[in-house]
Amino acid sequence: MLAASGPCFQTRGARRGFPDVSRDERGARRHGQAAGGARGTLTGVQPAWVTDATVIVVAGKGGVGSSTVSAALAVVAARSGADVLLISVDGRPGIGPLLGGAPLDREDRVLRTVPAGGKGSGRIRGRTIPPQQAFADYLELKGISGVLRKAATAVSLDSIAAATPGLEHLLVLGKIKELERDHAADLIVVDAPPAGHAAAFLRSASALQDVVANGPVRVQADEVAEMLADRGRCQALLVTLAEETPVNEAIELAYDVEESLGLALAPLVVNSCWPDRDGLMLTVAAAAKAQGAKLSAANRAALEASADFGRSRLAGQRRQLSRLQHALALPRIVLPRFPTADFGAAELELMADALCVPVAVQR
Amino acid sequence: MMTAIEPTGRLADVLSTAKVLVTCGPGGVGKTTCAAALGIAAADAGRRVVVMTVDPARRLADALGIDVDAKKSEPHEVVGVGAGGGALFALMLDAEATFDRMIVERAGDADKAAKILANPVYRSIAGSLAGAQDYMAVERLHQLHDSGAYDLLIIDTPPSRDAIDLLEAPDRLVRFLGHPIYRALTAPSRSFARVTNAGTSAFVWIVRRLAGPRLVEDTIEFFRSLSGMEQGLRQRAADVAALLRDDSAAFVLVSSPRAEAIDESVHLANAVVDGDFSLDSVVINLVHPLPPPLVGAPDAVEGPLADHIAYHRELAALASSEREQMIGLIAIADGAPITEVPLLDDDVHDLEGLGRLAALLVR
Repeated sequence: MLAASGPCFQTRGARRGFPDVSRDERGARRHGQAAGGARGTLTGVQPAWVTDATVIVVAGKGGVGSSTVSAALAVVAARSGADVLLISVDGRPGIGPLLGGAPLDREDRVLRTVPAGGKGSGRIRGRTIPPQQAFADYLELKGISGVLRKAATAVSLDSIAAATPGLEHLLVLGKIKELERDHAADLIVVDAPPAGHAAAFLRSASALQDVVANGPVRVQADEVAEMLADRGRCQALLVTLAEETPVNEAIELAYDVEESLGLALAPLVVNSCWPDRDGLMLTVAAAAKAQGAKLSAANRAALEASADFGRSRLAGQRRQLSRLQHALALPRIVLPRFPTADFGAAELELMADALCVPVAVQR
Repeated sequence: MMTAIEPTGRLADVLSTAKVLVTCGPGGVGKTTCAAALGIAAADAGRRVVVMTVDPARRLADALGIDVDAKKSEPHEVVGVGAGGGALFALMLDAEATFDRMIVERAGDADKAAKILANPVYRSIAGSLAGAQDYMAVERLHQLHDSGAYDLLIIDTPPSRDAIDLLEAPDRLVRFLGHPIYRALTAPSRSFARVTNAGTSAFVWIVRRLAGPRLVEDTIEFFRSLSGMEQGLRQRAADVAALLRDDSAAFVLVSSPRAEAIDESVHLANAVVDGDFSLDSVVINLVHPLPPPLVGAPDAVEGPLADHIAYHRELAALASSEREQMIGLIAIADGAPITEVPLLDDDVHDLEGLGRLAALLVR
């Protein structure tokens, strides 16, 4: 459903020139209906959806790999010359080293520069936003300084947060909103806390709107809600696996963020899928016979053992992909499973490549 | 009908002696599923077991007969499970209902309870605050323990990374109740007016400035209305802490062989041990089967046999990589028995699947 762009990172102005896709057309709301619209041919290294909004919030159930997908997304944009800021909300430390830099902390640091062909170079910066820091920054911004600020921080955020539920999340989202408003980067990738928490995180602004009638917190909540609902400023990229529970949670989260927050959805990313191998449908003996190959009994047994497992897992994967297709009318990107339990720098580059393949339009 | 399982392994010993069993682990490792399967294994061994989950996946909830939307948190019997007098009961934590019930039980009189329940600050804390959910899980655990209706309580903690919030919840509440801010806010109004503590006045001033005077009044009223209950809450927190540190309480850490999950598990294992809880067992779930090796297999470059060989190679590479990662977990288990559970060829989501998993856990 996404029109293809040229290879360059679009500026904010140029981005507005894209044929806009109405919320209804690509919304999760329309079960199994055709998303409609033309699919362009992707010629560049970067798919258009990457430039649709300045902030992309990456969210998924724990264990589906949303942090690594965030990092790969940053690589994709940087390869096209963008200045990318990666924000890890709950401070997953391993993401910095995965991108070739230091573990993330509250300092905004360059993790790597990425050559972008004839377009100079892009770079990836990374940081976390601890609520304590967001709070101190916020007090500063509101002109609360000096002795009083010291007293306030001494009181500790804990007590204030207890009195104002959701405030921690709101402060972090508020900081992200400030960064977006100040054009701190071409693209801000936010690695959200895992689902369950992701919904609470994104909902903190609207939850506070219910409790707080006025004052700066209300203004902050309103401004955050406004950013979340503006598809040109902020979109959510959901990550899932082709397994029962992650699929269910992705579907719930998609409806949740789109309907209650008006947050636009970027393509759905299905992580860690085995490549489909039709040959597995034949028995090993039949496959060998078809090609006139000879196999020892031991090799035949070894292949049969892996194929038994593979057939069943692949069937499950197909079933889950088809469920996703029927439940969510979203464009979809399927990422391969890498044959290692330790995801490293090489896998990250391959994942970035895979994020750039033309987006499959869902029925 | 499933055949009853006769436990023989060391996890089986834990299941036959523990009175409280807590499962913990990072997200996406099948922790809730394991908690339910452990419940089945114990019920089949003749014990009356109740499993409490905080946020079960829908199909798992269905399998256990939990109605996720029903908003009630009374245990009910899971039909078709149990042998030799054993039975399995399941419930989902409803944090809000548990909080309400606690307020009603402790408020002393109905008017006071009604006033607290109607307070907007209370409502948002009870409904949305993540910390409240942890505390309520612990509160519910204690209620179930007090009921004396069960031999074994299994409690599934929400996924966490560095620490086990749930275990810290009672201590956190006690700390909060002892905080000078809380004490000042809950003091009788006359002395409150004379409070000169800089931190407290800064707190009130800042909350008023940030969120408006109404929230301050609601907050102060909420804290005041809690004040008579303080002693009871403290006592309960102390009781729960003692219950979880008793010899009859066991912790089972559930992990998977992915590097990231293992890193998080190391933190969790430390949190359990540092908190003076007893780590009794480690489960490594979702381990890919390692197929027998190929010896001098033909180089099929295309055709169905190539698919078989390629799949075997990928599965063997992943399975070997997982086994290397698992060494890290063996090191931190600190003598606790480790149970390795293979990734089944289909996702577990019904009683039959849970039964298969139960057999693997206690074999």
